[in-house]
Amino acid sequence: MLVTENPCYRRALRVCASALVLVFVFGRVPAARAGITDAVKAVTLKNDLRVLVLENHKAPVATLNIFYKVGSRNEQISTTGISHLVEHLMFRGTKHLKPEEFSNIIQENGGMDNAFTTADYTDYFEVINKDHLDVPISLEAERMGDFDPQGFDSEKAVVIEERRMRTEDNPQDALSELTQAQAYLAHPYHWPVIGWMHDIQNLTLRDALTYHLIYYSPQNAIVVAVGDFDGDKVIKQISEAFGSIRNGPKPPPVTDVEPPQEGERRAVLKHAAELPAFTEGYHVPNYKSPDSYALEIASVVLAGGKSSRLYQELVMNKRMVVDVDASYDRLSFDPNLFWAAAQLRPGVKTPDVVSVLDKQIAALRDHPISDQELQKAKNQEQADFVYGQDSIFREAMMLGQYEMLGSYKTLDQYLDGIDKVTAADVQRVAKQYLVDSNRTIGVLVPTGMLRHPAQGPSGGAVHHVIAGEESR
Amino acid sequence: MSQRKVGRLIGSVAIMILALFAFAGTSGAIEIKRMVLSNGAVLLVSEQHQLPMVTIAMAFDGGSRRDPKGKEGLAHLTAESLAEGTKDLTAEQLNEKIDFMGSSIAVAAGQDYASAGMTSLKKYSADTLHLLATVLTAPALRDDDILRKRAEQLAELSSAEEQPSYIAERDFTKLLFGVDSPYGHLPTGGTDTVSKLTPNDVRNFYHQYYRLGGAIISVAGDVKTDEVKADLEKELQGLQGAVQPQATPPAPKVAPGEHLTKIDRDVAQATLVLGFGGIERSNPDYYKLQVMNYILGGGGFSSRLVKTVRSEHGLAYSVSSGFEAALFPGSFRVVLQTKNRSANEAVKLVIENLHRIQQQPVSDAELESAKKFLIGSFPLKYDRLSSIASFMLQVELYHLGLDYADRYPKIIAAVTKEDVQKGAREYLHPDSFILVAVANQSEAAITVASDTPHQ
Repeated sequence: MLVTENPCYRRALRVCASALVLVFVFGRVPAARAGITDAVKAVTLKNDLRVLVLENHKAPVATLNIFYKVGSRNEQISTTGISHLVEHLMFRGTKHLKPEEFSNIIQENGGMDNAFTTADYTDYFEVINKDHLDVPISLEAERMGDFDPQGFDSEKAVVIEERRMRTEDNPQDALSELTQAQAYLAHPYHWPVIGWMHDIQNLTLRDALTYHLIYYSPQNAIVVAVGDFDGDKVIKQISEAFGSIRNGPKPPPVTDVEPPQEGERRAVLKHAAELPAFTEGYHVPNYKSPDSYALEIASVVLAGGKSSRLYQELVMNKRMVVDVDASYDRLSFDPNLFWAAAQLRPGVKTPDVVSVLDKQIAALRDHPISDQELQKAKNQEQADFVYGQDSIFREAMMLGQYEMLGSYKTLDQYLDGIDKVTAADVQRVAKQYLVDSNRTIGVLVPTGMLRHPAQGPSGGAVHHVIAGEESR
Repeated sequence: MSQRKVGRLIGSVAIMILALFAFAGTSGAIEIKRMVLSNGAVLLVSEQHQLPMVTIAMAFDGGSRRDPKGKEGLAHLTAESLAEGTKDLTAEQLNEKIDFMGSSIAVAAGQDYASAGMTSLKKYSADTLHLLATVLTAPALRDDDILRKRAEQLAELSSAEEQPSYIAERDFTKLLFGVDSPYGHLPTGGTDTVSKLTPNDVRNFYHQYYRLGGAIISVAGDVKTDEVKADLEKELQGLQGAVQPQATPPAPKVAPGEHLTKIDRDVAQATLVLGFGGIERSNPDYYKLQVMNYILGGGGFSSRLVKTVRSEHGLAYSVSSGFEAALFPGSFRVVLQTKNRSANEAVKLVIENLHRIQQQPVSDAELESAKKFLIGSFPLKYDRLSSIASFMLQVELYHLGLDYADRYPKIIAAVTKEDVQKGAREYLHPDSFILVAVANQSEAAITVASDTPHQ
C-alpha cells in the first residue's frame, strides 16, 4: 500500500496490516457531523497554550493528545529527521523521569501511550482508564517543560533501525520517498519525515535540545482531551499542570513555496523487490482552496471501495494489479500531492498499467461523473464521518488537526463543503490539476529478493544457506 | 482493495495501540445478551445507542485449520470468493449497492475461524444485513470470480515475498508445527497448493463449513435485540446443519537443541523469529503466562526485551514476545528486526532473558506493574463497536463466560511471583528452539551456541 503521508511511529507495529490502519486513521480524517464542535470547551491559557476538551461518556475511557506544530516541514537540509528523533527522545527522560519511565507509569495506570511525527506536526497521545487522566496530564506537562533525555546515541541507533525497517527494506515506501523528493524541489516536503539516513547519523544532542527549546513551547502546542470525564475539571487540571510553563523563542515561520511544475517528471528506483509498482503524484491545493472538496470527491470516485473506477477497471476487469489506490489529504499545512499508485500482478508491464490509469484520469477530465457516482461518494464520506466518531482517539485527532489549521470550529463545515460539490466541479478540478505536466511518476524496477529454492523447509530441523545472485 | 475499504473495516480499531500487548478482552461495563437461534447459532448482542451505526461479526468453523492436505489456502480463497456476488447480483452490482450505502461487508479466513461481518449506518443496517446474509446463504461462487480471486491470492503471495516478516513467520510456522498439522501453514497457503485449487474445491468447502450450527454471531450498535434476532432468524435460514468438531492435534514440540534456519535475502535488516511450542487458550496456565510474558516481552516499553534490546543496546526498533493461544496448542515466539551485523548480539540477549526469567523470580515491582496494566487497561478493549463485537466473539469462542469481566481481575490479582517463575520454567525453552533468520546472511553470519550444520 502506498502512502501519501507516512507518520513515523516511535513504537513498532508488529504486523503490516496495522500499517494500513495507520494510513486510514491519520491519512484521512473524516469530518464530523455539523455541530459536533458545539459541545467542545476551548480555552487559551496565559502562556498561549490552546486547550480543547470534549466529554464523551460512551465508554469509561479518556484520551489526551498533544499536538506540536512541528514536523519535517520545519527542518533544514542536513538535519532532516530531527523532528522525529526529538519525538523519540521525549520518552527518554526529563528532569524528574528516567528513560522510559513515562510509558511505564502510563501502563501501570491502565493506559497506553505513543506518538507520531508527520511532515506538518507531532502528536503525543495516551488512551487511559477514565479515572487516571490526571496522570498523562502531569507527565506531558513535565516533558514539555523539563525535557532532559538520556541515552541519545542508543535512541539514534533505534531510529536508524526504524528507517531500515520502514524504508530500506520496504520497496513501496522507498518508491514513495523517491517520488515525493522528485515532485518537490524547493519545499521541505522534498525530504522524508524520518529523514535521510546520513542526516540522522549526524544529528547531535545539541540539535535536539535546541529544537525542543524552539518548538516545544505552550505557544506552539494544542492539548485535546476527549472522554468520560467532567470537562471543567479536566480544563482545571490541564491549566494547573501547564499554566506555568514558559515559552521559548518564537518558532520561525516556514515560508518556502514550491514553484509550479512545468512538465512531467519521472523517477526510477531499482530495488530489492518481487513485483513492479508505480506511483504518481499531482500537485494540488489544500484545505485553503474550495477545490479541495471536489478533489476529495475525485479520490473517492477513483478509489473509494470495490465499486470505484480504479478497482473496477484494474482489479476486476483488466486484472492487472494486486492493489490500486488514489488518495488525497486536504488537511496538509502546505499544498500536497494527489496520489495514485498500484502494485502490479506478476508478468504485467508497468507502461500497460500506466496507460489504463491515464485513461481513467482522462475520463475524469473529459466527462462529468454520473449523479449516481457523485451521490455514492457523498454517502461514503458521510458514513465514514459517523464511523469516525466511534473512537475518542479519532475525535481528538479531528479536533486537533482542524485547530492546527486555524480553528476546530471549521470541522463543522466539512460535510457542507462535500455536499456542495457538483459533477462539474469534479470535472473542472480534474482538468486543472490532474494533467500530465503537473505530475511525477515513480517506477519501481524489482531486482529480486534472492529467491528461496523450491523445496523450502520441510518440517524438521534444517540448516541451509541459500545461495543467490548478487542483486545490488 | 482500496484503503477506504480496508480502513472502514478495521480503521476504528486502534490496532496500532493494542498490537504490542497480548491481552484478553473483557466487558463489565457493557451489557451482553446471549441467546441461541433456532438453527443453532449463538447470538450475542450489545445495544449501544450513542451513534446511529451497527457492527455485526460472525464466526464460522471454516478457518485455515480446516484446509485439506495439499489444498492449503482453500479456506482463505473460499472466504475471499464469497463476497463476489450472489445468485441474483454480479460482483459489480453487489459492490455498487454496498458502497452506495457507505457500508462495508467482509468475509475473511483466520487460522481458527472464518469471519463474516458488516458495518453500516443504522438507516442501512437492514439492507446491509440482507446483502451479507445473501452472500452467506446464496453466494454466486461463479468459476470466473473464483479464478480471479485465485490469481489475486497468488499475486499477493508474490508480493508477500517482499516482506521479511512474512517469510520468517511462514517458515517458522511450517517448521514448528509440521506440514501435517492444521496449524502448519499460514491462511494464504503457498503458491504450489493455491495454483491447483479449483472452483469446485471452493464450493465444496463453502457447503461443508459455512453452517450455522456452532456459528457465533455478535452484534454491537444501535439495534433492538428482539428486532435484530428476528432479522437474523429470517435472513440466515438457508444455513442449516452443523460442522463436526476437528480432532485436537498433538502439541508442537521442538527436539532438544537449537535449530537455525537461514534464509538469504537482499535486506538491510535481519528479521528474527525465535520460538517453540506454546499453549491452547483453554490451558489454565494462560493467565500466569500472560503476566509472565508481559514482563518478558509483551509489555511494550515496560518489558525486559524492549528495555535491553532496544532501550539499552539500541539494537532494534521492534522486539516483542507472545504466546499465540488459540483453539489448539499454538506457539511462543520472539520477533525482532535488527541490522544484519547485530543479529548474533540480539539473539544472545533474547536467550539470556529467557534464562533469567526462569532462574530468578521477577521483582515485586515488575509483578505489580504487570497486574496493574492487565487489570486497569480493560476498559480500553470496549471503547468502540468493532472491539465490543470482537470481544463478544472471543468470550463465546473460547468459552470464557459472560462473567469473564468480573472474574478476570481476580484471576490476574492472584498470580504470584512463584507462578510466574513456574510458568517460565515449564513453558519457555531457551535450550530447545527454532530460530528462523531472514537476513543478508554473509553480513549477519548467524551462529547459535550448539549450531551444527545438518544439511
